[in-house]
Amino acid sequence: MSHEYVPEIATDREGNQHEVQGWQDDFYGGKLGFWLFMFTEVMMFGAMFLSLAYYNSLHPQEFIEASASLNRYLGGFNTVILLISALTMGLGLLKMRSGDIKGAKLMIWATILLALIFLGVKAVEWTAEYHHGVFLGLPAMQGGHEGSMPFGKILFFGMYFTMTGLHGFHIILGIGLMIWLLKRINAGKVSPEHHILHWNIALYWDIVHLIWVFVFPYYYMIGAGVSVATGGHHGH
Amino acid sequence: MATNNIDYNVEKKIYYKILIGLLLLTAVTFIQPHLFLAGASFVPQMMIAVIKAYLIVIYYMHLKGEKLIISMVWFTLGLVIVFFIIIIGIDVANFQFGAESYITSAPHAN
Repeated sequence: MSHEYVPEIATDREGNQHEVQGWQDDFYGGKLGFWLFMFTEVMMFGAMFLSLAYYNSLHPQEFIEASASLNRYLGGFNTVILLISALTMGLGLLKMRSGDIKGAKLMIWATILLALIFLGVKAVEWTAEYHHGVFLGLPAMQGGHEGSMPFGKILFFGMYFTMTGLHGFHIILGIGLMIWLLKRINAGKVSPEHHILHWNIALYWDIVHLIWVFVFPYYYMIGAGVSVATGGHHGH
Repeated sequence: MATNNIDYNVEKKIYYKILIGLLLLTAVTFIQPHLFLAGASFVPQMMIAVIKAYLIVIYYMHLKGEKLIISMVWFTLGLVIVFFIIIIGIDVANFQFGAESYITSAPHAN
């Protein structure tokens, strides 16, 4: 059974009809579609934050003590790195839109470099935590036996490794997307006239940054007052 | 594309101004436990994060004037909260094994 091709017709403001050849130039549609994807990210991380808030309400003191034991200076350093990377990504898009393709590519490379630094710092942090016996699967994080941490701390660190791990996975995906974007720019598929891909990858990088804006204070800073009160820093 | 009608230098200045604002707010994040509410950092820390998120969404994610997408953002956030309250909140409030659950009571912790 064959179907007859029925062309889609669009009518312009003057009432002239045109056969639609493709939607590649539908900038707003492309942007809206990507926002729909980002809403799924918001829902996923939003549900995680709400679970975290629920666990926090059950074990407030242990959450504060666990937070105080994280190295907030490394977390803060990574916050600044992501802030600057959001700037380089944004400036890269601006350069692309204004016709400076070489400058845009340079800014994307700068963003990739900053993303790698972020991952490097995260690796240092996780390694230090592992050597302190705090990591998924280690005895201290297995509840119900002598030597295990208080249950509130197990929940805190379980969520900490899950959420920062998932966030790190998004950073790795972002690096892959930026390399793909560079290839598309080199192939002439992304240009100042057709930059929706660049726009959407910049949006993706912003949402990765946005998630960290909440991850950082919730994990690293809610217990900072304890360190201040005791006059010390308990970072791993 | 209409989106290319930009003044690079004007837009660049906005990006730098927002960066400075975000860096200052990050500094406030670190200073806050030393200045006020040292024993209860959660609320001020989250308020600073919300202000930072607002700046990122409006200026870096170009949502200024995007009424449709902004209303979709509110809808999505509302959806997460409502579903959390309905599906998890009510369920947790009526959890019949609360006393036995490891998460809600942690009887053998420590």
